[in-house]
Amino acid sequence: MSRVAPQSFNRKPEACASVRSRRAHAAGLRLNDDATAPARSEYSVLSSQYRVHLRDLPQRLTLLGVMILSLFLPSSTLAEQPTPIRFTTDVVPVLTKLGCNSGGCHGKATGQNGFRLSLLGFEPDFDFRAIVKEGRGRRIALTAPERSLLLVKATNQKPHGGGRRTEVGSEEYEVLRHWVAGGAIAPSPDDPVAERIELSPSEKVLGNRSNQALLVTAHFSDGTTRDVTRRAIYEANEPEIASVESNGIVATHDKTGLFSVMVRFGGQIATFHAAVPLQVTEEERASAEVELTRLEQRRSSPFDRLLIRQWRRLGITPSKLADDATFIRRASVDICGTLPTREEVEAYVADTSADKRARLIDRLLERPEYASNFALKWADILQNRGSGYSTSKQRAGTALFAGWIRDSLAENKPYDQFVSEIITASGKQNENPPAIWYRQVRTQPDYVESVAQAFLGVRIQCAQCHHHPFDRWSQADYYGLAAVFARVGRKGGFADAEVPTNEVIYVKDKGDVLHPRNGKLMRPKALGGPEFELTRYDDPRRSLAHWMMASDNSFFARTMVNRTWAHFHGRGIIHPIDDARDSNPPSNPALLDALAADFIASGYDIKHLVRVICNSHSYGLEAAPNKLNRNDSQTFARFYPRRLSAEVLLDGISQVLDVPTQFAGGPGALPAGTRAIELPDENVPVSFLDVFGRPARTSACECERVDAPSLAQALTLISSAEIQRKLTADNGYAARLAASERTHADNAKEIFVRLLGRAASKEELKTATEFLESEEDRAEAYRSLLWSLLATNEFMFNH
Amino acid sequence: MLRLNGSTFKNCDGVTRRNFLQLGAPLLGLGLADLLRSDSHAATAAQSKNKKSTIVFWTHGGMSQQDTYDMKPDAPAEYRGMFTPVETSVPGTAVSERFPLQAKIMHHLSQVRSVHHENGIHAPSAHWMQTGYFGPTLARIAQQSPSFGSVISRSLGARQPQMPAYVAVPKAEAFGYQRAHYLGKAYNPFDVGADPNGKDFKVPNLSLPGDLKLKSVNSRRKLLAKFDTIRRDIDKNGVMEGLDTFKAQALEMVAGDHVREAFDISQEDPNLRDKYGRHQYGQSALLARRLVEAGTRCVTVNTGYWDHHDNIESGLEQHLPPLDRAIWALVEDLADRNMLDDVVIYCAGEFGRTPLINGHAGRDHWSNCFTVMLAGGGIKGGRVVGASEKWGGGVKERLATPLDILATIYHTLGIPLDTYYEDSTGKPSSIVDSGRPIRELL
Repeated sequence: MSRVAPQSFNRKPEACASVRSRRAHAAGLRLNDDATAPARSEYSVLSSQYRVHLRDLPQRLTLLGVMILSLFLPSSTLAEQPTPIRFTTDVVPVLTKLGCNSGGCHGKATGQNGFRLSLLGFEPDFDFRAIVKEGRGRRIALTAPERSLLLVKATNQKPHGGGRRTEVGSEEYEVLRHWVAGGAIAPSPDDPVAERIELSPSEKVLGNRSNQALLVTAHFSDGTTRDVTRRAIYEANEPEIASVESNGIVATHDKTGLFSVMVRFGGQIATFHAAVPLQVTEEERASAEVELTRLEQRRSSPFDRLLIRQWRRLGITPSKLADDATFIRRASVDICGTLPTREEVEAYVADTSADKRARLIDRLLERPEYASNFALKWADILQNRGSGYSTSKQRAGTALFAGWIRDSLAENKPYDQFVSEIITASGKQNENPPAIWYRQVRTQPDYVESVAQAFLGVRIQCAQCHHHPFDRWSQADYYGLAAVFARVGRKGGFADAEVPTNEVIYVKDKGDVLHPRNGKLMRPKALGGPEFELTRYDDPRRSLAHWMMASDNSFFARTMVNRTWAHFHGRGIIHPIDDARDSNPPSNPALLDALAADFIASGYDIKHLVRVICNSHSYGLEAAPNKLNRNDSQTFARFYPRRLSAEVLLDGISQVLDVPTQFAGGPGALPAGTRAIELPDENVPVSFLDVFGRPARTSACECERVDAPSLAQALTLISSAEIQRKLTADNGYAARLAASERTHADNAKEIFVRLLGRAASKEELKTATEFLESEEDRAEAYRSLLWSLLATNEFMFNH
Repeated sequence: MLRLNGSTFKNCDGVTRRNFLQLGAPLLGLGLADLLRSDSHAATAAQSKNKKSTIVFWTHGGMSQQDTYDMKPDAPAEYRGMFTPVETSVPGTAVSERFPLQAKIMHHLSQVRSVHHENGIHAPSAHWMQTGYFGPTLARIAQQSPSFGSVISRSLGARQPQMPAYVAVPKAEAFGYQRAHYLGKAYNPFDVGADPNGKDFKVPNLSLPGDLKLKSVNSRRKLLAKFDTIRRDIDKNGVMEGLDTFKAQALEMVAGDHVREAFDISQEDPNLRDKYGRHQYGQSALLARRLVEAGTRCVTVNTGYWDHHDNIESGLEQHLPPLDRAIWALVEDLADRNMLDDVVIYCAGEFGRTPLINGHAGRDHWSNCFTVMLAGGGIKGGRVVGASEKWGGGVKERLATPLDILATIYHTLGIPLDTYYEDSTGKPSSIVDSGRPIRELL
């Protein structure tokens, strides 16, 4: 889904990242993490369903009882509560639960109608001032608590833009009322705060259309615990699979798969992980088991076994292996960004050796197109942006950086070294190409967010202004990482462009970052890691690099592994790939860990990683679903197709029609025959590429490249001058066909293999031949036939 | 989809479970296909329910308020300008003598004379007025926002599924800020690509290149239907289905009748064409009417460049009469067709121009206080909202922000003001933020 354009929704956001998080959640959960332990019996789905339910019955009944009781509990009991209502402990969670401090209401930076609260209640002191001191004191009425604007508005007794948030007399209402009645006591440092929350259960295998109550217990700093089920906020990540009510009751629906529910209380987050296995008949289960066992025995890779283990848990049977023609097209596109030629397809299909798949992958990895294809991907992530430069002298930098990236990949530079050379780069940008990264990445948010997103797989943007609502990151984490880059200095360079270029990057003696709220000097610090010990002679960036690349760093290798997995599988094990969070768990944690460990052990060998992934069982599967995996979109039980990227699609069309694209390269045009995947930057004007989703390289997010369909794409295919030129070129493939002496049928056969990488079916051959024969204008007939294959989804997709 | 039902969302937080399922679901499992499907359902629903559309006259470069709608006849000569005011059909409201035709229908037109924003450079100002938000400048790194046309396109879709929802005549302007940005390319304006007043006006983006014949397009269409048979259930992200929809729509546009006819301005009665005026302004307005009639939701007419730093008189002599005629003829034509209450007409640019005439007999950029015109679609006519200071300069009363103006348009079109779209960082962005519709016009 990260490949799809941003979606609309008509709802007030709860916080800046809420939607992303929902989308992000999409992965799955952690079930029985330990790879060596035998699967617990409750996971062997059908037979244990019953037992699981029975086992939980007493707990569920108790829970239900508590809930019913609390419903009928007269509100006066609250009045008799011995402990006073505390602002931080009691009032703020109510404001959060009622949505008052959400990002769409009073929690947004500008507040709402003059009343502003801290987002999700992370700053109780601020909230207290807003409620008690501001608004000329009208928001609370100590002598007549129920006349407090706070309560009158929340219950919509006076017109409230947010409508009725609660009823007079509700438990939430009473908490607020008693707090006011008790003198609206200010938050104190002694107020117990939630230190963690605990879920019961925290993971579960559930059947379709079943309910599960979650019990949320908060552990407070004063050592007390409390049931906060009613106060917590719940969000399910896969609403098709399961939904959750505001009282913590999870309801599964008809779909199968993994889901999680994020539970939030008092700034703490916990995640409920669950699986809804496929409901199958006894026979189906038996035959699935035969198939999985057979696979387990045949495929010896430890990674495959981790895939198979998860399929077994969910009752999923993977699709068949894709045929050879499909596989060579898939691997050529993914590894080299290039369609296989007819000869390559035919030779691969004819090859009968057992290890031909592995050898194909090895061959593809040694081709220069491998480096070009992945250099394009990295140039996006590293924001090698050409736009905004008016002269070739300024712009040459993008070509230098592009070349450096390509060479690094071609020589298979270890990934840790590659990243280290970029983030620690110093010197003249025209002499040390990786320093060009610092051209687009030049402000404090750029440094922090690009490093976090590109190399650590973390979206930390939210923590610039407030505590991250769905993750552990605080502003201190954000500005600690910012401090690492505070001493990056720049001199010289041309300044007459949108962004200066040819600067000298160096480490200054000084450079301070202050915490935006408390004004404290921030010391350079790794994300969630230690403060660095530094002297003025040390480059903090080097310390960061050491920390990132330490073998116990859980972010660095996993992010690269996940990114590469997603490149080949169309979806990350963590999805989206750069949004690792406790509340966005990997769909197969053991697999991710195993791949990361293997990547580190290989010495961060990128080609090795590609080899491992391309040789995995999942990468070889057919895209077509079967009865037992048709709902799967998380466990790689089939190949998830995606549209060819803009550059690969254009190159593919050029290749099959044998008419290269003529790129306008500005002064000093690009050499004839340059391919789209080889362009030095994104600022070579090619409308086809823009229409098909070439990114502008303004962020480190791969999501900037989109494959969202549009009308302009269809019009480009149908009536653009470029496609017409390629179809009508004098020396192109279409012209050669028109001039050929061979029969229409022979030509048609060749056309299918050349364009689609497979033989035509009988039916297709008949349609094509009859069409060619019926047309008077032979050349135009061939053009039409070629076009009608280029415009198929089969051509436009990697499948 | 909820965002089409036009009901107001009193619920500030709005995260009802139903809401989330219906609207959040496409983000997660349903995929784009479902979104598109729901959009096309939406289009059908909109067709029956929401007949509203918008025609925009974008005075690219910045039109002088003081020589058009907000005249200062009592100011000293160096402020007053060269034109004198004329009375209109609304007693007490006068406009420039170069707007004699609009004067006759002033009871349909309303002005907001107190629009204010805080940038004086073309591109950032165009961003501000087109999107409602202060965006990037050379000195400010900020993300771009979608234009209001794209928001309309995204929120309402076309009224007729074959038609492009958002069209720019002759092409998108406003320094690149009439586009959809993070809303997605599907919501960019469709560029007509030619002057509708041109001899043998044809739409290049719908015309076939070089020697490609309609007959070939039709054969290709038939062949494609036979060969494009890969299983659709292999793609659950909706991209295939989306492409299918757009391929069909594009082929229909290129080879079918409905869209071609909508763009075929030669089908209009020559007398009516004369009434609109045989110039780019007039024929663009007429084309815009044809398009909204056929189902387009928003047409932006980008005519001329109004950046009159030098010798403003001759510049305005060129631009004001045809603009005047185009707006007048459009209003009368829509009224004749009983469509005036369905079509919002909006005339604005990125800013106005300095009250004080400069040393080159021109006026420079001025965003402190300028005028926009709104009419039709249910907006009350004949009103003057807000006021500028004595000689122009600043806002005297009822400051209106760009977002207030857009909120007024969205509200009139039936787009709920608490619609949010996810920006490129994943942050939900309000379409109006703090903007509030101008009540005096509703």
